[in-house]
Amino acid sequence: MNIDTIIIGTGVAGTAIATKLLESNPTSNILMLEAGDKQTMRDFSLFQNFLVTNKLPNDSNTIYDAFCDLDYPKQETIGENQSNGNTQIPLQGGRLFMYGGSTGHWGGWSFRLKPEDFKLKTNTGKGIDWPIDYYDLEPFYLEAEHFIGVSGNNNDPTFDNLQYPYNEFPFTIEDGPYIDAFKKLGINHSNLPIARYGLPKTAIINEQFHAPCQTTGTCKYCPFGSRYVAANNLDELIQKGSYPNFKIITNAVVKEVLMESKNKASGIIYYDKNSNKEVKIYSNKIILAAGAIESAKILLRSESENWKDGIGNDKGLVGRNLVSHPYFFFKATLPKNEKMLQPQMGFPTLVSRHYDSAEEQWDGKFILINPVSSPKVNLAKSMSKGMKKDEIINSINQNVTVQIQGMLEVFSHRDNRVLNSDKRNRFGLNETIINFSKDENFDNRMNYIQSVVAKIFEEMGAKNTTMEMSTSWRADHAACTTRMSDSPNNGVVDKNLRVHGVDNLYVCSNSSFSSLGAVNPTLTLTALALRLGSYLNKQ
Amino acid sequence: MYKNLIFMAKYNIDAKYMVANSLNELNEDAIEKLWKLFQSIEKFWGNDENIDRMKSNFIVFLSNRIEIDYNYLAEYSNAINVIEELTNELGDKDAYIKLLTDPSANISPPTTRLARARQLVSNEFISLYLSLGGFKHFGSKLNYQGYFGGANTEKVIPYRTNKDIK
Repeated sequence: MNIDTIIIGTGVAGTAIATKLLESNPTSNILMLEAGDKQTMRDFSLFQNFLVTNKLPNDSNTIYDAFCDLDYPKQETIGENQSNGNTQIPLQGGRLFMYGGSTGHWGGWSFRLKPEDFKLKTNTGKGIDWPIDYYDLEPFYLEAEHFIGVSGNNNDPTFDNLQYPYNEFPFTIEDGPYIDAFKKLGINHSNLPIARYGLPKTAIINEQFHAPCQTTGTCKYCPFGSRYVAANNLDELIQKGSYPNFKIITNAVVKEVLMESKNKASGIIYYDKNSNKEVKIYSNKIILAAGAIESAKILLRSESENWKDGIGNDKGLVGRNLVSHPYFFFKATLPKNEKMLQPQMGFPTLVSRHYDSAEEQWDGKFILINPVSSPKVNLAKSMSKGMKKDEIINSINQNVTVQIQGMLEVFSHRDNRVLNSDKRNRFGLNETIINFSKDENFDNRMNYIQSVVAKIFEEMGAKNTTMEMSTSWRADHAACTTRMSDSPNNGVVDKNLRVHGVDNLYVCSNSSFSSLGAVNPTLTLTALALRLGSYLNKQ
Repeated sequence: MYKNLIFMAKYNIDAKYMVANSLNELNEDAIEKLWKLFQSIEKFWGNDENIDRMKSNFIVFLSNRIEIDYNYLAEYSNAINVIEELTNELGDKDAYIKLLTDPSANISPPTTRLARARQLVSNEFISLYLSLGGFKHFGSKLNYQGYFGGANTEKVIPYRTNKDIK
């Protein structure tokens, strides 16, 4: 088989690259490999199942849990993977092994990084700078926002030159008390940009027209496909029938990348779960788009005479510098809720990036969100308990729980890393070993954030600010394990995402971020993927 | 040769419960009994005289639940039996109130027939009821999680916005 490009992974990164290459050359010979299987999307019965059980088809502990990592081993359960260090990064629920990757359950929050994020080392002395700056990526941010269909506010003062394809979702009435408090405290806020198709602003977008968001509130399983999911995008590429040499194979677990010399990859070996056989495929170029954990693990597994410790790992950096986003949960009690505010939708509309600023960068930037669950009213739960109507209304009217959630930037450390285990998981992949310990300053930073949140709650008239639950270090936003750098001395890939020292092997996942910033990585990843596609088209 | 046959096209017969008919196992009588349970939710918590508008959605819902998990045929059958027994014991009105409110039905895991009828049938009907507009009886006027509020347009925003405060 004469393959021009192998893309490993079918998430948003692989999908964006494939789209870009096919747009330029519809006869490109592209093969995408996916370790997981296909999950039915846009299915009304699965939507109703989510509605009444709050379980996604790909959630763990359901009949569809074949798409998730199991929890770590415990005394009473076998489990999967291994967590070392003083901070556990849960893999369970953080990523999906399925056609379309983790976009199958993502929230759609689509933030750009800010210019200072690209200069972390310069500004703080921590980590490294990106080898590109914000303005190198800006045109691809714009393209990415159209690619995944972001609804946002073009007048958001956070950035210049915004041209979102769909109008922002206005602030909900539930955002009102937060906005008033932000204004009194001088805290900037903005509409949350989100990858949900709206009604198109221009006829040009009609070519990509999708059903607009119907604000069902069941966004994680949208019955209309209005939230961007790479699986739907790939289906559309296939169904278009315009790309005769584009192929996707599922249940294909990549074992290693093959090298014909130190600086040239020749192909890959994958395990075909359907035939129970190993398959070798040769290709002109190979792109790892398998997420921050698996992309690094594939490089580490690819040992050869030329790369004794794995491809790109002569400096021992592959898999290291792992970061993720600690996600925090605060709550307080609002004594009166006379407007009967209660959750209306399944995605937030208000964000404050006030503390996601150059001034906060040294200590760790953070964002604040009014989450969809605030005020904490759950009519179905109250009714299921047998509460009478008056009791339910009284419970909404007074002493309701309000919440603020958010994410904090943390910094890379060499000892925080991912490794391959010798054990195999249910997908046939090597299990993952994660070594991770939080910074010693982390708890102080969280105390500071709590003091900020308490002031906001106080201004809203809410009392008793506490952490609602432990900070979640879940691996959804795992990053930096093959980070981008000017030199192989401090990173694994160059500014074009090419592995240092190899001419035709690229890594396009969160792993290639030089640092993570304080916001969800998916839009930046999509922009990097589109940028890589453009770069390859020019070769 | 067909002139003398009395012929009635299938497309002219009553289209009632088309989806349910295709299931075979859940007959019209059973669907009516489950619909009565759904109506009892509205009677207990709402005051919507127009509940019949939800019936077609309700029947599609039954069909979809069974499609996802065939065990729902048994769960629905159990709920019907539980309601019949409660009705014999308490009378029509109090039978539904007991099913919807009795604390003993909240045990976890649901090991009694009553608990299964509550947790796997009536509780799911409650979520469906709210998503079809039942939430409007509890102070939220325009949208709720699960409800199809509509598209975000400049003229009509399908949920209560911050501007509504002013």
